[in-house]
Amino acid sequence: MKSDKAEPAKGRSIRSLSAIVKAGLPSKVEALFRAAIRFLILSAFLALLLFPLLWMLSSSFQSNEELYRSPPRWIPRSPMLGNYASIIASRDFLRYYINNFYVSLITAAITMLAAVFAGYSLSRFRNRLTTGISVTLLSTQMFPVIGIIIALYAFFRSLKMINTHAGLVLALTAASLPFCIWLIKGFFDDLPRSIEEAAEMDGCSRLGILFRIVLPLSKPGLLAIGIFTFMQAWDDYLYGLTLVVSDRLRTLSVGISLRYLGEVSYDWAQVTTISVVASIPVFFLFVFFQKYMIQGLTAGAVKG
Amino acid sequence: MILTRKFRDGLFGILTLMPAALIVGICLLIPVVRTVGYSFLDYKLSRSASRVKPAFVGIKNYMKTIESGELWNSLVITVVFVFWVTLILFLMGMALSLLLSGVRRGGKVLRGIVLLPWITPTIISALLWTWIFQPQYGALNFVLKSAGILSENAAWLADPDLALPSIMTAAIWKQLPFMFLMLLAGLQGIPKELHEAAIIDGATPLQDFFAVTLPSLRNVIRTTILMTIIANFKQFPLFQIMTNGGPMNRTTNLAILSYRHAFGNLDFGSGAAVATVWLAILVVFSLVYGKIFPEGERE
Repeated sequence: MKSDKAEPAKGRSIRSLSAIVKAGLPSKVEALFRAAIRFLILSAFLALLLFPLLWMLSSSFQSNEELYRSPPRWIPRSPMLGNYASIIASRDFLRYYINNFYVSLITAAITMLAAVFAGYSLSRFRNRLTTGISVTLLSTQMFPVIGIIIALYAFFRSLKMINTHAGLVLALTAASLPFCIWLIKGFFDDLPRSIEEAAEMDGCSRLGILFRIVLPLSKPGLLAIGIFTFMQAWDDYLYGLTLVVSDRLRTLSVGISLRYLGEVSYDWAQVTTISVVASIPVFFLFVFFQKYMIQGLTAGAVKG
Repeated sequence: MILTRKFRDGLFGILTLMPAALIVGICLLIPVVRTVGYSFLDYKLSRSASRVKPAFVGIKNYMKTIESGELWNSLVITVVFVFWVTLILFLMGMALSLLLSGVRRGGKVLRGIVLLPWITPTIISALLWTWIFQPQYGALNFVLKSAGILSENAAWLADPDLALPSIMTAAIWKQLPFMFLMLLAGLQGIPKELHEAAIIDGATPLQDFFAVTLPSLRNVIRTTILMTIIANFKQFPLFQIMTNGGPMNRTTNLAILSYRHAFGNLDFGSGAAVATVWLAILVVFSLVYGKIFPEGERE
């Protein structure tokens, strides 16, 4: 604002650097000032995005007595591992955790397999039917999940598939498939056909082409759909809440919400510790596969 | 020979499509159609084993939820929630992506850090914010009181006027990274020459933004906003964990209402009616959205 005042006012508050250079004004001051503003706004964004996570981490190393005092200790004075020890010792938590891993991994595996086949089919065989299927798949994204679950519950009940991991995996696979097919189809669309045609000339079967040529070339896409499905299944709450009844089979989100969240008061030391432990697998995935996740997600949307 | 190859290819195309089509058909498409059917039935799940055949009751389920006012209440809450969350997300996402696209050193690391809320599991996000909003020991009340903005502790999630904005905060926090990521990808896809040409022609950064940046982002914005609107229309875990629809139903969105009928009261008919209204709104909305914002030309 200072450099704006120094300049003959023309009623515009934001000026391009080049205009200022032309006017012969101290562009360095202006640039420095801009950089400072940028830095401040960016810091505010970072604080907003990171504070809840850091506070979760810090809280998990404090006892409830420490957490319930004012002013709060932003950094634990004597970090304690007691919360973690009691969580790991808790049989229930461990079971929910293992169930969640199991369900998420199987869901990811089935989804990847089915999505690769379907995506390849939709990408290579174009006719009215496959176009129709593509559109239908995309439109399923706006279905209200409860709307699906109400009938699915009745259906699974008649098949005695309520309260089974198989039912839960099927439902989660169906929920992930449309997006994954759409994503992997985009990858297949971008591959040059000439390689496949050459392989076909050499007598390679369709299946051979898919597994030996197309898949190795679309590894990033394959990884992306696998990770997305795992994360979506790991994140699931509503399907697990409705389709699984017995505590023995419960998945993580549902287990946490039903067992550790009281009606009146929460044991915040415990809840924040659970939160940290529950986030660890997806954070790890993210650290190692960030590139593929970002590539997979943005490729589709930027293309339109 | 040519015919058989064509036939074999066709067969291959259909067979490879089958597994996915079957799973999606059985666990997604058919259930939705059946739910629409249920909405016209008196379909109550009894806890006992004896099952009574659901009777057709016409639009009674719809009338019940309309007359009690709960459908309208939830519809308004859902739309208000979606509107503000999407608008704020877009503005903040735009600002953040513009800021970060200019960062040269450490941009990748910064981007990774910014994305963390996006991968935090949803119910964990709900718990984190519930802890921050905690009335007596929560971090937010302490900070606001220390800064002199609040004189007394606010009961964020229990206050009828503050509960919905509080959930919006958590939703925005969780989804800002996604919005940012999409817009950043779009920004990075704009050829530099376009900006340079605009600046040479004497455009101010603001003019450059409106004449070059925004039009180039058209398809990204269109897709991302639609995804954001649909995702927030469906939002369930944040509401369920943070307020469970309360206080005084001020945060009962369509998802919570439908769940409460179907799995709280075991009245599948009413739950299905709410879900059907909701589905109809989304279908109509997507069609209108497609008409108002047609897909731009692809390069």
